Amino acid sequence: MRFPWNRMEADLKRELEHHLHQLTAEYERRGHSHEDAMWMAKREFGGSEQVKEMCRDERRWAWMFGIWQDFAFALRHMRRSPGFAGTAVLTLALGIAANVIVFGVLQALVLRPLDVPHADRLMTLARTDQTYPILPYPEVRDVRDGNTVFSAVAAWSVWDVGLEANGVTRPVWAFPVNGQYFEAVAIKPFLGRLLERADDDHPEASQAAVLSWPSWQSYFGADPNIVGKTIRLNKHPYTIVGVTPEGFYGTEKFIQPAIFVPMANAASFGEGDLESRGHASVWSVVRIKDGVTTPQVQTELNTIAAGIRRRYPKDEEKAGFKLTRPGLMGDFLGAPARAFLAGVMVLAGILLLAACANLGSLFAARTADRTREIAIRMAIGSSRWRIVRQVLVEALVISILGGACACGLAWMALTSLAAWHPPTTYPIVFFVRPQPSLILMALLISVLAGVLFGVMPLRQIFKTDPNDSIKSGGNQSFRGRRWALRDVLLAAQIALCCVTVTAAFVSLRGLGKALTMDLGFNPKHAVVTTFELSQAGYLGAAADQFQRRLLERVSQLPGVVEAGYANSTPLNEDTTTSSVFSQQTADFRASNRAFYCYDYAVSPGYFTAARTPLLAGRDVSFADTPKTPPVAVVNQQFARRLFHSEHAVGRYFKNSSGLPIQIVGVVADGKYLTLSEDPSEVAFFPISQEAATKTSLVVRIRPEFPDAATNDMAGTIRKVIRDLDPSVPIRESSAWNSQLGMTFFLSRVATAALGIFGAFGLLLSIAGTFGLASYTVSKRLRELSIRVALGADAKQVLSAALGRMLIVLGSGSVVGIVLGVAASRLLSAIVYQASAQDPFVLAAVAFTVVLTGSLSVAGPVRRALHIDPATLLREQ
Amino acid sequence: MPNKKTDLIQGTLDLLILKTVAHEPLHGYGIAQRILLTSKEILQVQQGSLYPALHRLQRQGLLKSEWKESGSGPMGKYYTLTALGRKSLQEEQAQWQRYAGAVALVLES
Repeated sequence: MRFPWNRMEADLKRELEHHLHQLTAEYERRGHSHEDAMWMAKREFGGSEQVKEMCRDERRWAWMFGIWQDFAFALRHMRRSPGFAGTAVLTLALGIAANVIVFGVLQALVLRPLDVPHADRLMTLARTDQTYPILPYPEVRDVRDGNTVFSAVAAWSVWDVGLEANGVTRPVWAFPVNGQYFEAVAIKPFLGRLLERADDDHPEASQAAVLSWPSWQSYFGADPNIVGKTIRLNKHPYTIVGVTPEGFYGTEKFIQPAIFVPMANAASFGEGDLESRGHASVWSVVRIKDGVTTPQVQTELNTIAAGIRRRYPKDEEKAGFKLTRPGLMGDFLGAPARAFLAGVMVLAGILLLAACANLGSLFAARTADRTREIAIRMAIGSSRWRIVRQVLVEALVISILGGACACGLAWMALTSLAAWHPPTTYPIVFFVRPQPSLILMALLISVLAGVLFGVMPLRQIFKTDPNDSIKSGGNQSFRGRRWALRDVLLAAQIALCCVTVTAAFVSLRGLGKALTMDLGFNPKHAVVTTFELSQAGYLGAAADQFQRRLLERVSQLPGVVEAGYANSTPLNEDTTTSSVFSQQTADFRASNRAFYCYDYAVSPGYFTAARTPLLAGRDVSFADTPKTPPVAVVNQQFARRLFHSEHAVGRYFKNSSGLPIQIVGVVADGKYLTLSEDPSEVAFFPISQEAATKTSLVVRIRPEFPDAATNDMAGTIRKVIRDLDPSVPIRESSAWNSQLGMTFFLSRVATAALGIFGAFGLLLSIAGTFGLASYTVSKRLRELSIRVALGADAKQVLSAALGRMLIVLGSGSVVGIVLGVAASRLLSAIVYQASAQDPFVLAAVAFTVVLTGSLSVAGPVRRALHIDPATLLREQ
Repeated sequence: MPNKKTDLIQGTLDLLILKTVAHEPLHGYGIAQRILLTSKEILQVQQGSLYPALHRLQRQGLLKSEWKESGSGPMGKYYTLTALGRKSLQEEQAQWQRYAGAVALVLES
């Protein structure tokens, strides 16, 4: 390398050589032989290296040169002990990467405000009686017209729409929005204009649609002349009037809409009645006027709610409003997501603490190792500052390497998370981006940790007398030494790692139970195909005919055992509810309701195709028509709740319009919305009595068929539908198993996150234990070989070498497991059936801890047992 | 031979070096020899002090150096006074004489 000091070094060398030459010449003049003269000159000159060193100290950039030297020395040192360097870098990288990743997600989902102007004035409107922020549309209108505190009150929803453009029909997610939506979010269009109040004034007021940036990019090739072009939505022509800017994705942080349409046009999209006060169907965000305080807003919302209750005592008995933070479906996802992320952040913090403890004990061990070297340096006149600087530079090199590795890891994890789509048909995207500020934070933490723990152990060296250190060769007597800092650090670190391992096992066990539980249907060997017939213009009887024709065709396909269809299948996030009243009820106000039940419309054969056991009575039939008396099949929980017995066949219940419905069959309970729900009440109505355009076709194939046959069948069914009518956009046709992905999503994400933390924790504890055990053994090799020479047996050698280690290991593990069990109670909120009291979990954690502990001390133990005293004592 | 020689009082070496190179450019060895000769072999400058002092004076801008042929053998590094060095020499010399005079007064009283 060419540095100015390289030339200066050469100069210095020449200058001193010149001096020596002159001195030699002088002695030669005095009559000595050349050899004698040279020898005498050298003797008089003394140590030329010392002179050089003193000259170097006089230079202007002396300190920089010194640091460069220290740096080169540190690298040389690390090359000579790659085990230490590798462990330290790995430790730092793991601890910091975990924190940067978790903080990145936290920032994206919780901390970062929505990307709209004055995001702090934008709030989600929710009913006080439920956490899911969904409201009846008339209530949103009441708030809109009756308030003085909001500058805009927006309503929006998510519809499944067939978008026909350039000859292709695609199922896309449309956001129907009211006229004040874009006033509330207050964004500027990227192209053209946004939807205005006039567009939503009355049904079919305008056929204007606004594209989102991603759909403009992917469906229209970023056509700059898109404004004014006509497309078809569910067969109705719409004109594109504008495109939203790139960063805008609505007011929920993970839903990406494709297109915005006026909400007033609901009827033409085949969407149900938005006007009913009993049916919550829209989300709402409001923009609070400048200068208005939260208590003012709440007072006014209370007044509006009181008015609504007065005017509609029957439907709106419980009307009441509150504001929540937007972005994560109000408190529905927001609260658990915030709690979970906070929990994970704590785990990440624990991991960082463990990593720091590990680093501390590593550096402590290393510095103890260098006591002799440092003592020698002090003895020949090195200043303390010089030694501290050397150690600092070494710690800095390690922490920068560790920080760089952590940044790489975190960057990879966050980018792949951003590119990942959860297994659901909803347009979910994570807007997680690795932030440069995070990288900076990571580097800062690593440098701080490295420097702190690198320099701390030096104190103990400065306290010792260099003379002693040199004489005893750094081998101070270990017998009866006090518990050193590094023992405590190791125990703490092992305890912390046990916490993460316990958490990982608890959630793994929970997920395992969730995966094998009884769902009330069998998603194996079945294909589910979903589509919305209204998107192809089928309504009412036409839809019914199409569905029956399709069922007929599909039933004849080779390999199909049974087939049936429904408006929706359980656990697919698309569940509707209706009110149930007992037969004696005459006044159908909300407070007289017996309970809410989930409702499905099913075809004959659906139960057998889904493998939902029919326990009593009969299946629905195509003979049940709008002209025959209304009937339903209910599940056991429904029967138990209404009649306090499972004998429900032949008995009646009433719906909210007072219509008596006869129960003709009872089916087994299952899971309908989430895996962790309590047994829920469900009613299945004949689809021939309550026509639905939304269709989920369930096809059961022979169980002996391989998995590939399931996918083939999914393709075949697509083809059959296309043969019947190519304009029906198919949302999905695939194995039922794979469609349930979202159901297990939260558990899976939690388990994956905790599993990674557990693995990080294990790696850390292995690194720490192994490092300290092998250090202890190598330090005491001499003492141990004397013991062996004097006739100590294997057990005595081991207890002498690693007895203390084992105490540290054991006590750390016990404390860690106890802490982990306590912490895991928090997990049960997220991971289904997670319980730390499970003996299986406790056994697994204990086994893992013992196994990793033994693995990491195995090497040092072997070394201690294979000591050959003769060789060793001769060497030293 | 070293017994008769006196160690330099702290701080006087810089002055001696400046004075010695004021007459003509000299290399390190030459400076040491000249000081030894002019002090009648009493003041011996150690290499361990001479070279750091030379480098320090050069960094302070009192000396400058160049590589030149020396009578025989390899090139030598010759030091000369800069203008700043000449000024510093005068000041230091005056100060030293005041100091030495004062010490002498006390000792002779």
